[in-house]
Amino acid sequence: MEYVNPLTGFRVDGRRPNEMRQLKGEVGVVARADGSALFEMGNTRVIAAVYGPREIQNRGQQVNSNEALVRCEYRMAEFSTGDRRRKPKGDRRSTEISLVIRQTMEASILTHLMPRSQIDIFVQVLQADGGTRSACINAATLALADAGIPMRDIVTSCSAGYLCSTPLLDLNYIEDSAGGPDVTVGILTKMDKVTLLQMDAKLPMDTFENVMELAIEGCKAIATYIREVLLENTKRLECQRG
Amino acid sequence: MDLDGGGVVTPGELLGNSLTLAAGRGAYADGRSVRASVTGHRRIVPPAPGSSDQRSTVEVVGHKAHGAVPQPGSVVIARVTKVMARMASADIMCVDSKAIKEKFTGMIRQQDVRATEIDKVDMYQSYRPGDIVRAVVLSLGDARAYYLSTVKNELGVVSAQSIAGGTLVPISWTEMQCDLTGQIEQRKVAKVE
Repeated sequence: MEYVNPLTGFRVDGRRPNEMRQLKGEVGVVARADGSALFEMGNTRVIAAVYGPREIQNRGQQVNSNEALVRCEYRMAEFSTGDRRRKPKGDRRSTEISLVIRQTMEASILTHLMPRSQIDIFVQVLQADGGTRSACINAATLALADAGIPMRDIVTSCSAGYLCSTPLLDLNYIEDSAGGPDVTVGILTKMDKVTLLQMDAKLPMDTFENVMELAIEGCKAIATYIREVLLENTKRLECQRG
Repeated sequence: MDLDGGGVVTPGELLGNSLTLAAGRGAYADGRSVRASVTGHRRIVPPAPGSSDQRSTVEVVGHKAHGAVPQPGSVVIARVTKVMARMASADIMCVDSKAIKEKFTGMIRQQDVRATEIDKVDMYQSYRPGDIVRAVVLSLGDARAYYLSTVKNELGVVSAQSIAGGTLVPISWTEMQCDLTGQIEQRKVAKVE
């Protein structure tokens, strides 16, 4: 199948190879949570809620009492995909993504400032169209920032792939299921540090570098957008306070 | 330095150099650079006169203030929930006159009730469940509770209800009287100024 039109250079959904899907972020969508966010990347739509820092509930999970415990739960809504299949809660894919999100967020949260406490991050995929992993990380970042949890930097994530010998930014579901390489990158934007790098295929070194570079560019664009959302929200709150 | 956005910064944003600025609340130092860790307003506080560190401190004040957290030495107001032979447990409600958002539990041990004759303290004659106690945080305690102490004249029960349901009025540092029945009950009473 042609994923990039050889004549026009456009992708199946009409984007250019280095074009991202439309982003939309909204904070404070869950009233009861300490911080929450809704994040959309095109048709992928994710909701994240953050509770904490609060007292540790299950002491058995506490590894180091001088640092906050970060927990993460990733779930996909049953109606999020086209084929409505009931998936068990503890399936391997969700467990893996939960772990990935937890590790990525832990790298940016200043956990040493909150000893003996835990931070719970819940992410729910409302609509899945490829790149849920990235969307979840972006939503979690936004929710953590909304909760006012001290962070080293804003972590953002974006995926990139390589199809029809073209590096493609921000794969959608069709491109994702094409079986080509899918590189998910998470970075601390202002510090230029990589906190997440995942790829489930083989790629030649020089191509990989191009693809990763593209994904990093995507991360930076998302970070700029997230900062805008946060500033906008802070201004709005300021107006309300007067 | 990024000054647009009315001085509002987001996590990770560079605030300055650690040679000239010290990181305060909502900021942290990463090597040479001082960066924000929360979203909020940047504020620069000049150094205290006479301090050895002549750098200004940069703070980021977020819109969501964190609830107060008990620290060793802070004065807390707690409600006694359970009295046992050697200790009493209490739920902390206020830290340094600020109400807290989350629930923290504290524990007053027998030896931390009063300063004198600490081995003769009877916990049941000092506290009752429901009493409002002013105490000082001794330490972070064990994993379950903060250790609280009332070893001072101004610390102890500040408000309590009698068995009859009336308000107890302090009459000495060990006794309180019910305003309905006149019955005297034993408490470790705080000397309220």
